[in-house]
Amino acid sequence: MSTAFALCLLALFTLAAIGMPIAHATIVGAVVYLAVAGQDLGLAGEQIVYGIYDSFVLLAVPLFIVAANIMNAGSISDRLLEFCVALVGRFKGGLGHVNVVASLIFSGMSGSAVADAAGIGKVIIDMMAKSGHYTRGYAAAITAASATIGPIIPPSIPMVLYALVSDASIGYLFLGGVLPGLLMGAMLMVMNAVISRRRGFEADDVVPLKKLPNLTLRAFPALLMPVILLYGIYGGATTPTEAAAVAAAYALLVSAVLYRGVTLGNLRAIMLSSVKSSASVGLVIGGALILNYVVASEKVPEALAAAMEGMEVSWVAFMIAINLLLLALGCILDATTIILVIIPLFVPAALAMGVDPIHFGVVVVVNCMIGLITPPYGILLFVINGVTGITLKEMIVEVWPFLIALLIALALIVAFPEIVLWLPIEFGYKPGG
Amino acid sequence: MRTALRWLRARADDVAVLLLTAMFVAFIVQITSRYVFNHPLGWTLEVCVTMWLWAVMWGSAFCLSNDDHVRFDMLYHAVGQRTRRVFAGICALAIVIALASALPATWDFVSFLTIKKSAVLRIPLAYIFGIYLVFMVAAIAMYGHRLVRVLKGPAETEDVEHEAAR
Repeated sequence: MSTAFALCLLALFTLAAIGMPIAHATIVGAVVYLAVAGQDLGLAGEQIVYGIYDSFVLLAVPLFIVAANIMNAGSISDRLLEFCVALVGRFKGGLGHVNVVASLIFSGMSGSAVADAAGIGKVIIDMMAKSGHYTRGYAAAITAASATIGPIIPPSIPMVLYALVSDASIGYLFLGGVLPGLLMGAMLMVMNAVISRRRGFEADDVVPLKKLPNLTLRAFPALLMPVILLYGIYGGATTPTEAAAVAAAYALLVSAVLYRGVTLGNLRAIMLSSVKSSASVGLVIGGALILNYVVASEKVPEALAAAMEGMEVSWVAFMIAINLLLLALGCILDATTIILVIIPLFVPAALAMGVDPIHFGVVVVVNCMIGLITPPYGILLFVINGVTGITLKEMIVEVWPFLIALLIALALIVAFPEIVLWLPIEFGYKPGG
Repeated sequence: MRTALRWLRARADDVAVLLLTAMFVAFIVQITSRYVFNHPLGWTLEVCVTMWLWAVMWGSAFCLSNDDHVRFDMLYHAVGQRTRRVFAGICALAIVIALASALPATWDFVSFLTIKKSAVLRIPLAYIFGIYLVFMVAAIAMYGHRLVRVLKGPAETEDVEHEAAR
């Protein structure tokens, strides 16, 4: 490791640790590197602007953010929830199941776990708390846990970011997330059923079955959205980025014209909050691009890959090690940062170990999403605390069983690559390259 | 002074909203023209990426406060008021020094691109990439201001920041 690179890392980690925005810390670190290495300081800006300007796939990020914000502002989330209550609310621990199923459907439209928790999640927490059958902490904990599925089932912002740093196909990554997402949902529902039985949660009010067709009809335009998205991408009609734009346009159309939940007035607020989130993610991406330039010119990933091969560890051992590392990092770092800054270091090593890039990507994203609910730094817990006022302590006490359920799902996904790869292969993916 | 600042903030927000809206609309125009009219356009894509770059840099420069950025703030919130001031001061100083020292070279890079034009609309890349200079100058000013405030006194820096951002 060169002196320049060591100083770069020192500056980056020290400054980020004491509270500098991650994006700024990466830019400062890069400038330190360029200065010490005697290179042109303008390279930092050059990498950032060219990187953002040249990556067409990145446009999916702001578009998915817009789509999610529109869905939350309109009544799309509410109608979906009514539909889910009628569908699975009749079982013991009913609203807990509703919570998971609503997340599964919602995740087929939005690519962001935070949007899921802040939108549909807030509504169902209120419903669960009002029923009096669940503690507030329990309602918040299962909401946070089920929101992690949002970016696993396509579309997915974190997968777009992984595709950016790994050159893996976004289409196959999206497909690879479908079964793992369903598996996570199933694990959470099993855990909810077990806990509901053990703690004797009372059954919730049952919606008569004869109301189901009507409620389905009310939610139908919203339910159509995942279908449009997936057909667009896998029918080969559109690229994932175009599908993101179509999703946003469709959400706007349904919310504004059909449901009349969005007006010109709140459209400005929607766009403002979208542009703010997009800018803060975009700047982190920019910072990561320049850092990746530094890391690549130092040949760090190659060195890591060579070291791994030298150690002659099996791919299973490698995957276990990397997952433990990511879970530890997930406790203190944000998922975007991990995927953009840490993951590029390990992609060549993973390939050298014979791990399939799509399998690796889905595992990484699932792992990072679990990191969103691990205390102390679990962004989903913060978001729910922000929108509902339920304290972190109440949530953390209740979140452990769900965390365990998700970790079991993760272990299965790591151990059986088929769970990830089966669907992409059905659609023509050739594994291992 | 404060009202003027607030007014400027609101207008900066308007610009950001326009940038994102323009990007969104251009994308929809592109898709419609490609799939509905079977007539792919070149300029829409360029408008999209340009608006995206601008939205990120403009938004980061004028619409986001220090707290709106992705940050690791556990340590920051765990320490006392005094240490927090030291942390905030070091961060602000580091950003000002790093960006200010990179500014001349970045200016050279951008102004060199006056001769290079974008692929479809033939806009000099210097205008498109110039937004990064705007971001740099704005960040230097914002963190310079923050540094002065931290040095000046034990005022609650975070609260001032929040108020300014509203």
